[in-house]
Amino acid sequence: MSRQTARAGDPRKVNGELFTLTYGALVAQLLRDYEDDEEVNKQLEKMGYNIGVRLIEDFLARSNTSRCNDFRETSDIISRLGFKMYLGITPVISNWSPAGDEFSLLIENNPLSDFVELPEGHTALNYSNILCGVLKGALEMVQMDVDVWFVQDQLKGDNITEIRLKFIKRLDDAVPAGED
Amino acid sequence: MTIFDFYIFDRNGTCLCYAEWNRKKQSGISKDEEYKLMYGMLFSIKSFVNRISPTDIKDGFLNFKTSKYMLHFYETPSGLKLIMNTDLGAGSMRDVLHQIYSTIYVEYVVKNPLCELDKPILSELFKSKLDEFIRSLPVFASKVS
Amino acid sequence: MATVGKQSKTNNLDKSLAKGKPEVNVATFALLFSEIVQYCQNRVYTVPELQNKLAELGQHVGSHLLDVLFVREKGYKREIKLLNMLLFIKGNFWRTLFGKDADKLEQANDDDKTYYIIEKEPVVNKFISVPKDKGSLNCAAFTAGILEAVLNGTNFPAKVTVHWHKGTTFMIKFDESVIIRDKMVEGK
Repeated sequence: MSRQTARAGDPRKVNGELFTLTYGALVAQLLRDYEDDEEVNKQLEKMGYNIGVRLIEDFLARSNTSRCNDFRETSDIISRLGFKMYLGITPVISNWSPAGDEFSLLIENNPLSDFVELPEGHTALNYSNILCGVLKGALEMVQMDVDVWFVQDQLKGDNITEIRLKFIKRLDDAVPAGED
Repeated sequence: MTIFDFYIFDRNGTCLCYAEWNRKKQSGISKDEEYKLMYGMLFSIKSFVNRISPTDIKDGFLNFKTSKYMLHFYETPSGLKLIMNTDLGAGSMRDVLHQIYSTIYVEYVVKNPLCELDKPILSELFKSKLDEFIRSLPVFASKVS
Repeated sequence: MATVGKQSKTNNLDKSLAKGKPEVNVATFALLFSEIVQYCQNRVYTVPELQNKLAELGQHVGSHLLDVLFVREKGYKREIKLLNMLLFIKGNFWRTLFGKDADKLEQANDDDKTYYIIEKEPVVNKFISVPKDKGSLNCAAFTAGILEAVLNGTNFPAKVTVHWHKGTTFMIKFDESVIIRDKMVEGK
């Protein structure tokens, strides 16, 4: 009985299952609405992008970070602060490219895909593709153009879930109309 | 002490929000024109300030002062720009602008699915929260006679 | 309660339900939910249609939540009495999902089938300021969907709808059979 009263509510948190299942409901809806997995992946990425551009504002408002000096600093902030703050996990950063413009985030317990089993016949579906969009959208807002994609996914039987990020270029501030 | 007016620009130079309280004189040009001039000036000041800085600076341009008013500037790493004009007694408004960003803009615009981030803010909730917040500031309390 | 150690090699579905999941930042949830609202909005024409869509998604969540929740919170014991079930919803259930009890539970004066759960500021509405042209939209229809699925799944068939009243009011209209059964249970 003690368990039932043990939960003290923190208004800044919501129940993890509610979150996971809400995401599951969304993916299920998309699978009904679209014909093929690629379309669903695209839609998830698009939604993730929209979330990313908003999430970054919340992140900046709370974390008081300034613009990163290099991509390594970025990777550290993404994993140690970003993922920690919003999903409660800290992915391991690894597999840096020699040029330092690419790295992987290794995730062991992806909160999006708890209790999930990929439905039959959806081998091309990247269930958690929304994360790619979130990362892309968030980084774009802080002037970084990156490519983000899934390399491995535990849902597909891989040992680990791996997301890869590639730095493309730095984006500039918009020049006001009429100036050169 | 008092607060005259307040602007938010997004990174594309769109004026998302404008509000005024004790502004007694208008610029005599259309609001759109005024926004454009404001954004253009900020853009130029920013790049100029950074260019002539004798050392690497982190925050860059913070404010300027005339004999009658002070313009306060706060920019987030995501390129959102918040501007406030006050009278000369107001002191630094940096924390206030950060607070507007983190507790009002982020909470009531960013997290409101019905607000588009690159369009002027229509949310009544946001406007009323902003107004309430500004009016509650000690700086706001004493009106110009 | 036994905690389960690291189990990265085990199948996803074998994870213990009893453990409970770490909580997630409310911003993460709010933004995901807001994308869902927008996605649904682009596929329907009217506010009632949008609310139906949200309720459907809520039902999906509710029906899955049942398994997870009841195993953990109630230790497999099923609630049979209507009042106990309602109190469970208002208390434990709400607390688990939203970190607090629902603000109020009321029964309709003129109808023994109808109950109200009142929540001043539901999490899903917290960040949503509804534009004037969509005046009646209440995104807590999603929560209503969850509730409905949970009630149906525990053998208390009901319709749950949302209304803007004292904040948000969830109107629960139980099936006649529930009331009859409950009278029998009470009568024993």
